[in-house]
Amino acid sequence: MFVCICNGITDKDIQEVVRNEGAGSVRELKKHLAVGKDCGSCVKAAQRIIDNTIIDETLFQNVG
Amino acid sequence: MQSQSIIITSLNTVLTTELTSINQYFLHARMYKNWGFNKLNDQCYKKSIKDMKQADAIIERVLFLEGLPNLQRLGALSIGEKTEEMLQCDTKFQLAQIEQMKQAIVVCEQEKDFVTRQLLVEILDYEEEHLDWLETQEYQIEQMGLEKYLQAQL
Repeated sequence: MFVCICNGITDKDIQEVVRNEGAGSVRELKKHLAVGKDCGSCVKAAQRIIDNTIIDETLFQNVG
Repeated sequence: MQSQSIIITSLNTVLTTELTSINQYFLHARMYKNWGFNKLNDQCYKKSIKDMKQADAIIERVLFLEGLPNLQRLGALSIGEKTEEMLQCDTKFQLAQIEQMKQAIVVCEQEKDFVTRQLLVEILDYEEEHLDWLETQEYQIEQMGLEKYLQAQL
């Protein structure tokens, strides 16, 4: 789904940056994507996606 | 007519959701139209217009109670990328809205504002019906498979 309507950024875009670029916070995410640069109403949702992606990754590594 | 500010506050939260709903369904409707899914477009377009009418009724009620309807505040839109995701986003939105409406109705009941309560119950009735429609679509996708479902929406 679209997280940031202002710049058309999806949850998949954010997950990709977290996985490939290792972004762990919204501030780091902003270096790669224009999240939260317009109205700012997506910041909370973006943070939640970062957190969930990191948790998923850790579980995956534990299993591996 | 003077009224308790608690009623106006809860009417304003319901109004914010309605205004968010108008935009969410309108965008979803036109996304469906862009892809040629005319039946889904019709349903979402109608929902958006109905939300506008409901918002109008709430605005008029707030003004009647000598309050100021807050048309400035808008919630976050949840917009899906594909049909299935769009229906899921709408379902999540409907569930949250129905919960909020119920709380607002409880406030009206406690404050003995039965006219506002009736207005909210009418809106709740419509929202529940739309949630039922969304659940029907999810059931159909599950039963028919996405391709056949989408073919039926042309």
